Amino acid sequence: MGITYLETVILSILKRINGERTIYSLFHLLQGKRSSQTIQDAHLYKITPYFHTYPSVTREGLEKMINRLQHRGLVEEIADTKVILTGKGEATLEQKLSEYRLPDYLNGWKYHQVTDSFWERLTLLIQVSSNLINHERSFIPVRNKRETLTWVKQYIKQQNEDRCKLAERLYGELTSALDNEKTKPELVVIRLTGYRKIGLTTMQAAEWIGLEPAHYHFEFLNCLHAMFDKVLENSHAYPLLNGLIKKAERNVPLTISTDKTYKLMQKGYTLEEIAAVRNLKQSTIEDHVVEIALSIKEFNIDHYVPLNKRESILQAAQRNSAKKLKQIKEQVTDASYFEIRLVLAKYGDVEWS
Amino acid sequence: MELKRYLKKHFKFEEFRPGQEETIESVLKGKHTISMLPTGTGKSLCYQLPGYLVDGPVLIVSPLLSLMQDQVEQMMAMGEKRVIALNSFLSPQQKAKALEELERFRFIFISPEMLGIESVLNRIRKVSVSLFVVDEAHCISQWGYDFRPDYLKLGEFREKLGQPLTLALTATASKEVRKDIAEKLHLGDWNEVVYSVDRPAISLALEFASTFQDKLDRTVELVKYLKGPGIIYFSSKKVAEQTAVHMREKGIKNAMAYHGGLDSESRVLIQQQFINGQLDVVCATSAFGMGINKENVRYVIHFHMPMQIESYLQEIGRAARDGRDSIAILIYSPGDEQLAYQLAEGELPDQYQIERLFAFIIDNQIVYKDLADRAEELSIICGFTEIQWRIVEDYLSNLEALDYKIDKQSLLQLIENRLEVKNTKIKKMLGWVHTKECKRKVILEMFGEELQERPRNCCISCGIDIDHYKETEPSSEQSLAAVDWKQELASILLMRERI
Repeated sequence: MGITYLETVILSILKRINGERTIYSLFHLLQGKRSSQTIQDAHLYKITPYFHTYPSVTREGLEKMINRLQHRGLVEEIADTKVILTGKGEATLEQKLSEYRLPDYLNGWKYHQVTDSFWERLTLLIQVSSNLINHERSFIPVRNKRETLTWVKQYIKQQNEDRCKLAERLYGELTSALDNEKTKPELVVIRLTGYRKIGLTTMQAAEWIGLEPAHYHFEFLNCLHAMFDKVLENSHAYPLLNGLIKKAERNVPLTISTDKTYKLMQKGYTLEEIAAVRNLKQSTIEDHVVEIALSIKEFNIDHYVPLNKRESILQAAQRNSAKKLKQIKEQVTDASYFEIRLVLAKYGDVEWS
Repeated sequence: MELKRYLKKHFKFEEFRPGQEETIESVLKGKHTISMLPTGTGKSLCYQLPGYLVDGPVLIVSPLLSLMQDQVEQMMAMGEKRVIALNSFLSPQQKAKALEELERFRFIFISPEMLGIESVLNRIRKVSVSLFVVDEAHCISQWGYDFRPDYLKLGEFREKLGQPLTLALTATASKEVRKDIAEKLHLGDWNEVVYSVDRPAISLALEFASTFQDKLDRTVELVKYLKGPGIIYFSSKKVAEQTAVHMREKGIKNAMAYHGGLDSESRVLIQQQFINGQLDVVCATSAFGMGINKENVRYVIHFHMPMQIESYLQEIGRAARDGRDSIAILIYSPGDEQLAYQLAEGELPDQYQIERLFAFIIDNQIVYKDLADRAEELSIICGFTEIQWRIVEDYLSNLEALDYKIDKQSLLQLIENRLEVKNTKIKKMLGWVHTKECKRKVILEMFGEELQERPRNCCISCGIDIDHYKETEPSSEQSLAAVDWKQELASILLMRERI
């Protein structure tokens, strides 16, 4: 049975969630909602690569798609807006995954805040460079955000280099960084605008390559993220591209409210004090702490969960493949939900791999 | 002679286009000027050139954000750096910075809303504007085809700026509208430079199709037959999109849709692809074309009947900018006017919405000046679209007194009048579609002109030799198949000799 690429992606995520979350968690994931719940779930179910990778998704669109999957007997509803894959669904998914791989390098969680701005800057930088080497000063920029325009202008000035050299360096870095057997760099290159050659839109590119738009979109992101991996691993080899990747204030960004909590924690306030100072519920502050554990690798949770309790929680978690907090709580009676969530957030990815 | 030297120096043109020189001369003599020049004759040059010859900045009020942005970009692309657009695209910081360095700019584009902010107006007063330009000036008149209530306050703003020298530009304004423009801007005494709306290089064709399918088939047939590039105008985004897909399926490879529903990257790319000759045809809504300078558009097809003759002229005017023979074809199906009537009604709030609004205003004792702050809430409660809300808010926020009952009646009356104006326009358009007389003559009469000379292939009533517009050159198959991406990158980033 034919299912679309997007449906394959949805099925594979639903399989991970396994009916433990509603279908709307999927909507928040693809949209990249920066809430503690979405972020925790993304880590818990190892679906972080898809975070913010399909922001154009709508509630109605997703509902309709899940309905279609249900009608065709690929998923079944086990509770209100919670679905799992049927046998037929599993088989179809497997069959599709043998036809094409889901994007290997996709890493929405890591790159969701830099992807768009990188692409805007890169396309403009290339257009400007291409026109400069052809001595064309008057052209309409493919980007109209003033922010991007000033940034790129400044960036070119900073390089302080002959325009031909700059274009050549850009060419050198791009050919090397994009080169990857497992991706299709032409998907990126046909979108580029240069001197008297305007790049294709997403729609045109998808049609040209013969992929459904969603499939093209994910392959395109895959290509960019593969390039990011390469550039960041070996940043001195790709100074120009590395400079285009927006330097966030922190490696992994926090939501604004969580960031405030984090700053207070660093000043030594207790969670109770922070809740009082910020006039927020204790549970909200705890959500923040879990998000911090997910986002900041070096964050130490020893202070919040004693070592022995941590061990018991992890062991209980391993026995229960379905990562249900309730089951863990039943087995480690002296642990609070907060402690369990915190431990899972901190060690989840490692322990369950 | 003198002016031509500046034309060459600043714009690298040898000759003025019709009307430009007269307009500029009038302005430089210090006369308020209303200038009506057909689309595609470079209206913007009429204030750009004086900008280099007078002291103090030129302030240009422009009704559409996208249009403003296009113009600023074009000027920047031409190398003019001292240009800024003050509009809602700017962040508060950018706005503050721009206002602080306002002296730096020679050309300041501004939206009417922004000009209505007192601190902004006061700041502008300090830079002593040398020329106050109102672009698309017909928007100020209720009788104009694109009336914008926020333009009504321009007269007042102009007073506050100390009545600077004023240039009002428009492509289509009847005598009545021009008089209205002068009154609303408080011009007192003014010069008029009026050029004919006639575009003799464009042949005016009209075809009938009995069903939607027939119309679609005929459109595809025409696109394959006619010499391009061309634009097809639609009243509906959806139909524009579907037709573009349909055409690609029918083998017209380089066809794309353009409308306000696209993301901004796609909009820029498609527009540029079209200008750069990578597209043969664009299926567009009226959002496409403003500010586009493409010389060689050879045909404009109207898939839907425009809502007034003025937009029809504006849209066909995108053809033949190079002065070479081109054709405009409107394909009419019986009942097409219904869509136009629906659209006209949809742009205005209905009685039910107004009743609801006032019920809420009365319940909550809202004063009109606080309306703007509650835009979102009220739009949801009453189900206003953005355009509908703007009409309501503009009207009420200008009222002094506060008598809910009277105000409601007067607003309803205003809406009724506006609908009447719109419906009359549609009827006129429809009349033109059905007339057996010379189409060109009828249009000119509507603008109080007389047809002097009938061009060859004048219009469908006078007779058109469609072969004249036929594509004769074999289409250059730009095959995109199988690119080597490294080579593609090299062609963009390396100089020819190095590839």
